[in-house]
Amino acid sequence: MIPDLNQQGAAQTKEWEPEVTAPAILLENVSKSYGRIFALSNITLALNGGVTGVLGMNGAGKSTLFNLLMGKLKVSQGSIKLFGTDPWKNPAPYARVGFVPEHEKMYDWMTGHGFVSTFARLNGLTRNEANIEANRVLEFVGLADVAHKKIGQYSKGMRQRAKIAHALVNDPELIILDEPLQGCDPLARTTIMNVIRELGRMGRTVLVSSHILQEIERITEQIVILHQGRLLALGNLHSIRERLDQIPHRISIQAENPKELAKDVIDIDEVFGISFPDGENISIQTHNLGAIHSQLPRIIVDNNHKVSTIDNPDDDLASILGYLTSGGRV
Amino acid sequence: MNFPEASPSTPVTVNPIAPQPAEYAAGTPVTGKVRLEAAWGSTEGDEDLSITTPTAQKADGQIFKQQYKQWNGELNPRWMRNWAILRHHLLGVFKKGHRPWGMAIRLYLLVIFIASMSDVGMTLLSGIIGDSGLHSVWGVNRDNLYGHVLGFFPRNMLYYPVVAALLVGGVISEDRQHGTSALYFSRPITRLDYVGMKFISVAVIQGLLILVTLALFYFAEIATMGRGWAWIIDTLPMFLATVFSAILLIFTYTSIGLSLSSVSKGKFFPGIALLSIILGTKVLAFIASNLFDREILYLISPYDCLAHVGQAIIGTQPTYDQYSWTWSLASLVAMNALALYVLSTRVSSMEVTRE
Repeated sequence: MIPDLNQQGAAQTKEWEPEVTAPAILLENVSKSYGRIFALSNITLALNGGVTGVLGMNGAGKSTLFNLLMGKLKVSQGSIKLFGTDPWKNPAPYARVGFVPEHEKMYDWMTGHGFVSTFARLNGLTRNEANIEANRVLEFVGLADVAHKKIGQYSKGMRQRAKIAHALVNDPELIILDEPLQGCDPLARTTIMNVIRELGRMGRTVLVSSHILQEIERITEQIVILHQGRLLALGNLHSIRERLDQIPHRISIQAENPKELAKDVIDIDEVFGISFPDGENISIQTHNLGAIHSQLPRIIVDNNHKVSTIDNPDDDLASILGYLTSGGRV
Repeated sequence: MNFPEASPSTPVTVNPIAPQPAEYAAGTPVTGKVRLEAAWGSTEGDEDLSITTPTAQKADGQIFKQQYKQWNGELNPRWMRNWAILRHHLLGVFKKGHRPWGMAIRLYLLVIFIASMSDVGMTLLSGIIGDSGLHSVWGVNRDNLYGHVLGFFPRNMLYYPVVAALLVGGVISEDRQHGTSALYFSRPITRLDYVGMKFISVAVIQGLLILVTLALFYFAEIATMGRGWAWIIDTLPMFLATVFSAILLIFTYTSIGLSLSSVSKGKFFPGIALLSIILGTKVLAFIASNLFDREILYLISPYDCLAHVGQAIIGTQPTYDQYSWTWSLASLVAMNALALYVLSTRVSSMEVTRE
């Protein structure tokens, strides 16, 4: 095996300029295989700006995708470019990238401030700059009060936020977060989601994966769905759902008198099925969700129905993943 | 299915999402349920649904308001990033907050530093009490300079190889084991820089023990014996030859040690393998020499080759005088080339997450 002598070593960020027209992330026909097993297969994707959620079951290839982007794995086929440069051959684009890995041993012996400032210096900041910027990002993630405590004493949520802080210290334009909410308490989740939303609002390109689908929904509607190493869907969550129009949508209504409500609802042309899962709920099936929602309020008000909740159980990510990965079977 | 499949040939660019034209707050979680509840109310008292503002309420259970302030600085060049790696490793020997070398390792380094100065102490003592006999045994001369760096017992049996084994034990393999090399590689740091700085940091720590104590030994002689320029000019070549031998020794131990570290995940293997290579091959060569009266096997022993080259350039009596010292030099070059090849191959192809 010949040593990889192609690595340019030209990581000087003062010398390296990104291609202006290139997207932050560009994958062209990317595959990654381990022997005969493909972890990723023929992925073509470009992302630039905003928050994008990466979804998929365990083993779908999310972490492999992130590891390829971060130059931790080498692509088997195809090419990956960050800001127009292949990061495996030249790590200079990482000056504009922040990465929060899913799990790694943290430097428990360091304080939060020491950890962030050390990695700021690895980005090329001077000691003073690193201290100032470490304070900036620690305040942003809400760790300013405990910045001088050792990471070993941090809770899981605080450690996650410390990782986010270390990823933000170089003010990156592309932030990649692999399962940032994993193991966090609700408070930490909320704070981290606020951080991610704020970064997206600022026009940064944020790529975030999570198994907690509801929380991805709260962060972003723009999603990439991977399944068994293949790109299954990409785009707005609700648009994807609407394109699955051969699959009936369900509307679940909790009402005081569901049978009376059913009598009124059945008159809507777009309704093709009604069922009663229990004594309090009515489940309406339709191919045209919008038409039902436009008429439902009037029916409820005109007929004086008492309704406590109206829900679209098929419109969440778990359902969409289920539909897509089961080949469209409900 | 009617959703768009990703075309392998056409990249799909996704732009930032435009805000939804909705009657409810844009920051609210967007689900079908919430959309409907926001529009009509759920009669659960949430008809006036408003944005959940992430502002602080109490010290215990605070959700911070995030206001991101940009950094408008410019990142500095490559050497500053490399210096950050180097100081992170070196300062860890002396103080907390940097790469943690274990307490046992730091204690051993201190003991070896003191032990390596035994000849310094004896030279100072002989100068102070004016004992010429003591000085003739311990003072600066060819044999003692050679012995300071390349003497087998105790220095190349108990001191320097053990120090090298302790240092290289975890320097790359721990990064591989814990995945912390991912943190380095997520920075604009080349793999050459990464391994180069690790190499230099291990070499510098060994240099503190071997070269600094060698210099102290030489200057102790000058200071206590009142040596003049003539003596210095006379002995400087053999001192410089000893320095060169020491650099060769440090380089060889480091390159072999790091190559072993790069192919393992734990501390134990690279350390014990380095000791096996240095001491085991010496023992093997010794046994073969005694059993078969063949000394050529010394060429597989890094220590014997270093000693042979050192003896030649410092000018002491060579152990293997029936062979040219250039064979030993060639063997050392081959050993280092092989070790550096393994090291560069392993690090350049290192796929961090599979470790």
